[in-house]
Amino acid sequence: MPIMLIVSLIAFGMIHLIPGDPAIAIAGMSATAEQIANIRHDLGLDRPLLTQLWRWYANLATGDLGRSLLLGQPVVQVMLQRLPVTLALAAYALVLTLAIGLTSGIVAALRQNTWVDQVAMVVAMLGISLPNFYLGLLMIVLFAVDLRWLPTGGYIAFTADPLGWLATSTMPAISQALLLAGLLARITRSTMLEVLRQDYIRTARAKGLSNGRVVLKHALANALIPITTVVGIVVSLLISGSVVTETLFSIPGVGQLLTQAVLNRDYPMVQGGLLIVTGLLVVVNILVDVCYALLDPRVRYDGA
Amino acid sequence: MRKIVFTLLAGVGLATTAAHAAPFVCPAKGGDFVFGQEANINTLDQMTSSTISTRNIAMNMYESLMTRDDNNNPILELAESMTESPDHLTFVFKLRSGVHFHNGKPMTSADVMASFDRYSKVGNQRSTLDNVKSWDAPDASTFTIHMKVAQPTFIEALSSFSVPIVIIPAENRDVPAQQLTNPIGTGPFQLVESVPGSFVKVKRFDGYSPNTAFEQRTGFGGYKQACLNTVTFRIVTEPGARVAGLKTGELQGVEDLPTKSLPDLKKDANVSVLPLNNWWIQLASPNTSAAPTDNLLFRKAVQAALDMDEIMDAASDGNYKLNVGFQYPNQPTYTDSGKETYNRHNADLAKKLLTEAGYKGEPVILLTNKDYPPMYNSALVMQQQLQAVGVNAQMKVVDWPTSVQLWQNTAEGWNFFFTGWGTQPALGSLATMQFLVQPNATYKPKAGIDDPEVLAAWQDMNNQPAVADRQAAFARMQALVLEKAYALPFGSFTKVQGVRANVGGFAPFRIPRMANVWLTAR
Repeated sequence: MPIMLIVSLIAFGMIHLIPGDPAIAIAGMSATAEQIANIRHDLGLDRPLLTQLWRWYANLATGDLGRSLLLGQPVVQVMLQRLPVTLALAAYALVLTLAIGLTSGIVAALRQNTWVDQVAMVVAMLGISLPNFYLGLLMIVLFAVDLRWLPTGGYIAFTADPLGWLATSTMPAISQALLLAGLLARITRSTMLEVLRQDYIRTARAKGLSNGRVVLKHALANALIPITTVVGIVVSLLISGSVVTETLFSIPGVGQLLTQAVLNRDYPMVQGGLLIVTGLLVVVNILVDVCYALLDPRVRYDGA
Repeated sequence: MRKIVFTLLAGVGLATTAAHAAPFVCPAKGGDFVFGQEANINTLDQMTSSTISTRNIAMNMYESLMTRDDNNNPILELAESMTESPDHLTFVFKLRSGVHFHNGKPMTSADVMASFDRYSKVGNQRSTLDNVKSWDAPDASTFTIHMKVAQPTFIEALSSFSVPIVIIPAENRDVPAQQLTNPIGTGPFQLVESVPGSFVKVKRFDGYSPNTAFEQRTGFGGYKQACLNTVTFRIVTEPGARVAGLKTGELQGVEDLPTKSLPDLKKDANVSVLPLNNWWIQLASPNTSAAPTDNLLFRKAVQAALDMDEIMDAASDGNYKLNVGFQYPNQPTYTDSGKETYNRHNADLAKKLLTEAGYKGEPVILLTNKDYPPMYNSALVMQQQLQAVGVNAQMKVVDWPTSVQLWQNTAEGWNFFFTGWGTQPALGSLATMQFLVQPNATYKPKAGIDDPEVLAAWQDMNNQPAVADRQAAFARMQALVLEKAYALPFGSFTKVQGVRANVGGFAPFRIPRMANVWLTAR
């Protein structure tokens, strides 16, 4: 609750402190001063800042996050439209990130200093350093224009057409996953290397356990705490949405929504949207903490 | 043979135009057209939006009493006739019969009343009705406007498509600004679904009643037919993605093709590239309240230094035309008055004027933004040109809302504000020159007091009864503004639209008009 309160205050303060006027965004490029003034009046933006803050908190107390100045719809409604898009894409990207990142990290650690390790780490570095935007455009040219396997952009909801969703989400998910998988692979590799040097791993091998059992049951299980931390960060990044990916592929997600809201000074949308996203991130952090306890019996949250 | 009978502009009287051909018939019917739109759409509430992105979509769903034709002349749309009283204080509109809203309800004068009521409360350009005393509906098919004072330019304002007074059902009279999320109009297409940030889908309105006073679509009006089953306006903000979509055929039409893609697209037999000349005028507005731009000689020095070819080349990526002033050369209102001030790129003259102005190297702030690259690029080139003649030109780069707010609310901290005018020049000289007088003056007159000569010309533009006299006043005002360097217009952009080769009837226009557009089986 304190986090939410602080975030709400920061969001209000920041968006109102920076110069700019939502009426300008609504009015458009060729608007006259009169049109802008009319819009400001209609939206209540000509009222004192403290009055606006008071109204924001008074509405918040009743669960009303306000109405987007630009979209004319309640913030909650807009977020409920956008969140499923971002969450579905995030889930797809997360699966790819885990599959690519964990596998390549483990394999690289097991084959340390071999060509496999080097190739995996070069690919990981490429994933981290290649701009999302550039990677996305390359994929559009290859998979959409040349091979015609996938659409150039757009979004189809999973509930409307699962195959259509898969087609429209694959390139965006890959472009997000490659960046995050690179990060995860490097962390997994270094953590696994550290664990694989531990005495209990040597002991496990000495007991005659199979390599797979040693790696999966003894090494990976112990490497999972730092990996879980990174996965938590990955999930947070995916939930807050990728502006670049969403813009490039015309995906109506939260990242694009909030960026547009900031650029257009859509105050209620920024304030309410950030609050909802913050709430989700708090939940993710709690889940990560719960995972720690499940993975490591030494970690307990009983106040002891 | 058909006859179109309508009362034309104020002072012109009754005009009769003989028709010359059979009305438009869709060569092919059906199909789903997907159009790649460059900008996000915030609202479909046309009365409360001045943005092009909203107009792109909403004007295929809504109609007004009057609109503009292909040549920007006012024409009747939902009205069958309009009669102006001899004292110019009353306008009587007879509504077309058989017109229905998308909800199936017939349109009557009660709906027109409600639309004017709402517009007068929340319409972005409600000053259009400033000189209107009242409106009433003597019967279901008649709507009357009563003026407080005669306004020779009233019909020009009423037919404006900047923020048109679109006709909505009476039950939407009290919907607050920005909140008309389910647009119901009388246009040839009706809303299916709007997903902000993604797409807006419309479908053919089977109950559409075309305006039989015309045979063809013209401007926003005329004889319109929905040949397509559906049109999806997909938001594709990334130019590369729009090009890719057009090439693959996922998009049947797009707007704003990047110049670099054009050579490749022109070679593609499946694509037609459609240049839309005179899309907008790029310009810089000086701050005449702050030094050194408060000094006429200094402003003239800047004017003398500029090479518009270089500026426009950078701003438009090579897709531009040089033209003097504030109208496009294809418009009847175009004038080159003041041309002697334009595109001089005379460094010697600039330096001489700087000396005469007593310029001592004070910073000159060019206020621009990166949200609109043409504005940033033109500022960058102007900075270099000014530095070359000894002006200490510095850039202040912020985002667009910030730059507009700084320009509007601060008299200090900037000397030139970079902007562009698109829709207003297209609407005519009256709509454009309002930007050069209070309360909209872009050049920030000292102490907020208009230049009396400019103001006098502006008043003549508004009040002279004869069209020719109003045009002469415009020419005078343009010359004054340029001579006093109250604005520095650089030139006009060409915007390039593109369609697939199987698209028929799509003509480049300020908005993508989907009526009378069809898809062939190719």
